Amino acid sequence: MPSTAAQIMQNVVLPGDPIPSHTGDDTTIKLGPGLTQDQDVITSMKAGVLNHLEGSNRWWVESNQQRVSLQQPIHLQGNRLFPFEKWVEFAGGAELGDGFGQTIVFISHPHQYIPATGESVIGIVCGRLTEGFKVDIGAAQQALLPYLAFEGVTKKSRPNFLVGALVYARLSLANKDMEPELECVNPATGKADGFGELKGGFVFKCSLGLSRRLMDENTPILRFLAEQQIPFEITIGRNGRVWITSGSAKTTIMLANTLQNSEYLNERECREMVRKLMTMQ
Amino acid sequence: MTIRPDRRTEPTQLRPFSSSQNLLNRCDGSAQFQFDKTAVLVSITGPTEVKFRDEKLDRASLEVIVRPLTGLSSTKERVLENVMRSTFANVILTGLHPRTSIQIVAQVMKDDGCVSVGSAAINATTMALLDAGIPMNALVGSVTCMVGKEDGEILMDPTMEELSRARSIHTFAFDSASRTSVMMDENGGKGTSGGVVLYSESTGDFTEDEWWLYKA
Repeated sequence: MPSTAAQIMQNVVLPGDPIPSHTGDDTTIKLGPGLTQDQDVITSMKAGVLNHLEGSNRWWVESNQQRVSLQQPIHLQGNRLFPFEKWVEFAGGAELGDGFGQTIVFISHPHQYIPATGESVIGIVCGRLTEGFKVDIGAAQQALLPYLAFEGVTKKSRPNFLVGALVYARLSLANKDMEPELECVNPATGKADGFGELKGGFVFKCSLGLSRRLMDENTPILRFLAEQQIPFEITIGRNGRVWITSGSAKTTIMLANTLQNSEYLNERECREMVRKLMTMQ
Repeated sequence: MTIRPDRRTEPTQLRPFSSSQNLLNRCDGSAQFQFDKTAVLVSITGPTEVKFRDEKLDRASLEVIVRPLTGLSSTKERVLENVMRSTFANVILTGLHPRTSIQIVAQVMKDDGCVSVGSAAINATTMALLDAGIPMNALVGSVTCMVGKEDGEILMDPTMEELSRARSIHTFAFDSASRTSVMMDENGGKGTSGGVVLYSESTGDFTEDEWWLYKA
């Protein structure tokens, strides 16, 4: 992993830059969002840093959403790489050639959420239609949550959400041409598995990069907060929304502020911030 | 080489330019681009919900709004809006976000009277699109140049004083992606251009041969 500013500068790509193919002839390259193929050339569509993991032939790109100054080494929170498996479901993909799999992934869009199938999001119910709820997930279009996409539902017992209710759901259908669709049930097990209405608590917005990092429970900031032994419950939506609830409103607000402020801090600074907040309690 | 009024020594030397990104926090991307005393701030919002009448089935619709430094917007701003919309429609991959809208708002922050507001706006829009992460197939760079009345000398990025002696003024916008295009001018000379010309606007007296020269 590049750890010095000099190495990072070499891998900065801008829209229109061809990505050099670092592999032999018969390898499969999976293109993630931000990369596009034009005949035989792979070019980048967004601005960011091309990266790869040593010894595993996996390539990905970090974008400018971390906004780290290039005068200091880029470190991913806690010097920990995002678990690669979580990215494989990213929207958009093309395969060329065949053979050993390689994935070049480009993460971008710090603010605007682009729905992708399989991602879990926090939505706000905006209305009721004949076939489901209209839910705002922060994307260009509102999503549809069918009445029957819940565990143990029958035609007689439909869920009854009021307008303004918070829902944690999974995107069952998301592509650029159709309106996104949600479901509150895990397709593999048929059970709710945490999806459904979020009662009480507090939702705040964060950047997409931060919400992605928070989904890993070993992220430094979550580890430090857990060490402080404050009971809290957190739900993270990939659309840049985080729901949090705890014993008192004061604690909830403190936790929300902590998480929002942790975006650009490294592990040491996170630890320092949590320690200071605890002494102020 | 004669020294230009603002102490530049080369005719191809640009004024000091700078840019900063992520200045506004309520939009998806923003950037300010400055050519010395001309500065334009651009904000990008999108891809977001589109009004039904602007909805395009297979691509995002680009909406551009230009606001002048002072006063209400007039036809001059409309012209720049059209220019920017058609330039960036070629560069932004709108096919990836059908039935959405990408809104570009350009606010002139400083204007010293030079014609480089259009160039600054185009450059600022490129930087803002990078900040917003909107997919593009190239970067767009734009610059203004002029040809002097007496000596026919080509000056890049002219100041107000130099413009008073201009025979013709040209604004070009280039894309960054095509690297291998080579331009030939009428006299058989060769010049390597950095990219394809996305936009060109010229006013004044000039011939076709000269235009090819200026483009190179």
